[in-house]
This record gives sequence, structure tokens and C-alpha cells, in this order.
Amino acid sequence: MTEDEKLALLKTILLTDDREYAESITHKINVLEEILRERHRLSEKVSPIIKEQLDDFTKNIPQNLGPAITESLKIQIENSKDEVVEALYPILGKMIKKYISQEIKVLSEQVNKTAKDTFSMQGIKRKMKSIFTGVSENEIIISDLGNAKVEQVFIIEKGSGILIGSFHLKETVDEDMISGMLTAIKGFVEDAFKQSNHDLQSIEYDLYEIHLHNFHKYYIATAVSGTFTETLENELENFNLEVSQEINKKNLLDSREALEELLLTRYSALKFSNQ
Amino acid sequence: MISKKIVIVGHFGVGKTSLIRRFVEDVFSADYKVTIGVHILKKTVHVNDKEVNLILWDTEGTDDIEEIRKAYLLGTHGFIFVCDVTRPVTYQNIESQTQYLKDNFNKVPILSIGNKSDLLPKGSISEKKEELEFLDMLVSAKEGNNVQRLFEKIAKILS
Repeated sequence: MTEDEKLALLKTILLTDDREYAESITHKINVLEEILRERHRLSEKVSPIIKEQLDDFTKNIPQNLGPAITESLKIQIENSKDEVVEALYPILGKMIKKYISQEIKVLSEQVNKTAKDTFSMQGIKRKMKSIFTGVSENEIIISDLGNAKVEQVFIIEKGSGILIGSFHLKETVDEDMISGMLTAIKGFVEDAFKQSNHDLQSIEYDLYEIHLHNFHKYYIATAVSGTFTETLENELENFNLEVSQEINKKNLLDSREALEELLLTRYSALKFSNQ
Repeated sequence: MISKKIVIVGHFGVGKTSLIRRFVEDVFSADYKVTIGVHILKKTVHVNDKEVNLILWDTEGTDDIEEIRKAYLLGTHGFIFVCDVTRPVTYQNIESQTQYLKDNFNKVPILSIGNKSDLLPKGSISEKKEELEFLDMLVSAKEGNNVQRLFEKIAKILS
């Protein structure tokens, strides 16, 4: 064996492990180079990481940047009120215009629908009224649309606020809770003003006026929509008084079914004098 | 179906609202929101094949029951006086408070209950029960223990 051969043998014995290790690293580098060269393979590896980072960033935006953005917007708006008004004016104007035109459209549809009903009893009555009063039929229809209407009636036990009976045109939220809250509001107002001899008589809510008429053991809460004048209020008061007399006469407070039948018969037929 | 007005009274933060929410909606929230004025909820319970509609008046917390607006207490069929078992200040004047209710609302049943029983140290419950023997029941709005039983009990008394 020559000196060179001995040296080669010695190298093989001593450096086999290192060589194998170096070869595996070279292989890994080659694979990595290949991944970096091929776009789709690189994106496969990197995309989930970027997505995760982006998700975190998006999630944390309100927390990290929210206060700074709000503060800067506040200052910006404070410093340039005129510009803000100028920018918002056309948008708000358009919105209001759109809302009004939508409402007019609804009203006009209702007028047309009612006007088409010419040969009904009501249509003939309206025509006669128009001829005799000189007011156009459409004006009468519009005026009719704003007529006061009893939407809901509650007979509520005084003090406890327990619902004894009710009448309603449309289903509403829980009537027991309405009765309780009405009683609480009534009690609060009467208590707060220390007017034990005076009662809360009405509550205005959205498009409704709720009238409260007190009797000995209970009170009647009547929710009315439409234009409700003082004259009509008197009429309603008299009507409620009649209903109350009937309730007492027939002793209906202990029979919810019979009481509600009476309320349905009386209030669904109720027409105010201007109708 | 009969309807009964139940008024829940007691000091601030004893868990009156949580108790009602646990009973009506079966939820519990650790956030404390002060009740202003009165809040009304309802739930129907069945007692001996009868339906009882409980109208629950959740009043705002007060150190002195006499401060509650009389209008809220009128016509009440049953009172639930709630204490916090971890705060003696909420039950140390219970006798005078319930006496006030008895004097002003003759014959109206009153149930005195201790809420937050879940916060009692496990080993000391029987000891604490002895200390709180003047209470009709221990409940936990957080864990729901005894809540249903409490309202069924009052419904049974009233039906």
C-alpha cells in the first residue's frame, strides 16, 4: 500500500461522518434553493405565516390604532367644521329627500287605494261629503288617514300593575310587562310630584298617545294613534266611563275571557265624532 | 292563570337583578350594572298543575327599604328580601327591614334569602348556615343553586 493510498484510507476512516453531514447539509441547501426558485412552492410555505400575521394585525387594529384614529378624527373635525358640514350636507340632504319622497309615495298609494274604492258605502259617503262641503275627495282621504284610532287598551289593576284584560289591533311585546311598566311610570310620576290627589293622565310615546283613566280598583290605558284633539280625548274619556260601568255591572273583573270579549266588541267599533 | 306581583328588595349589589335573570333567562353576567328605578320581568311557573304568572319587580338597591318609592310596593303579593352572604352589612338590619314590610303590607309573605352561596368557603357552609339561620334559603345566582326552588316556593305560597 502506497503512502497516498494509506492517507486516503485514513481519511475515509476519520472523515466519513463529517462528509455525510456535509452532504446532508448540501442536499438541504439545494432543496431550499429549489423552493426559493419555484414561486408556487415558496408561496406554499410562506403564505400561512403571512396570513396569520395579517389576521393578527387586522384583529388588533381597533385596539392598537382605534384610539389614535378617533382622536385624530376628533381634532380634524374640530378644526374643520365648515368642511365637514359641507361634505355631509349633500349626503344628509339626499337621505332626507329620499325619506320624504318614500313617505309621500306610501301616502299617495294609500290615497289611490282608498279612492279606487269608489263604489263602496264609504266611497259613496265620501263623494257626498265632497260635493256638499266643497273639499276635494283626495283631501278628505288624506284627512281620514290621520284619524285617531284606538290601537290598544289595557285594563290594569291599580297598585300591583297586574293586567286584568286587554284589547289590541296588532300583536305587541309582552302585555304583562307593559302593564307593569305603565304602573311603575304612573306611580313614579305621581310619587315624585307628591300629588296624591292628581293622576298621570297621558304619556306620549313615538306616534302614540297613551291615555290613562282612573277608576276605583283599576285604570284603563288606551293607546291612540293619529291626530288626537282635546274633543276626542273627552269622547274617549266618556267612552271609557261607559265601558267601566259595563264592566262593573256585569262583574267582569274576575273573568278575563268575558272582559276581553267586551273590550273587543266595544273598542273595535269605536268611531270618534270626526270620522 | 293567576298573576302575582313579586317585589325583590335588598341592599346594593346583593344580586337581585342577577337572581331574576338567572330565573327568567337562565343567564349570569359578572358585569355589575346598577338598576335605576325599577325593572319588570315575568315568568310562568307550574305549581300543583296550576300556572302562576310571576311578575317580578326588580327594585334598585337601597340601604334602607323605606327609601323605596311606595308606589312600587303597592299591591305586592310577595316580597323577596335578598342579602349577600359574604357581606354582613346587607343582613345585619334584616329584622327591622322585614318588620317595616310586615307593618306596612300586612299578611304579604316575605322570603329572606342569602345570595352568593357559591362564595362561601366550602368547609364553612354548615357553620355559616347556622349563623344565617334567620334566612329562609341560600341561593346562588351565579351557579343557579336553589333559584328555581325559591320562585317555585313563593308561587306555591301565593297560589
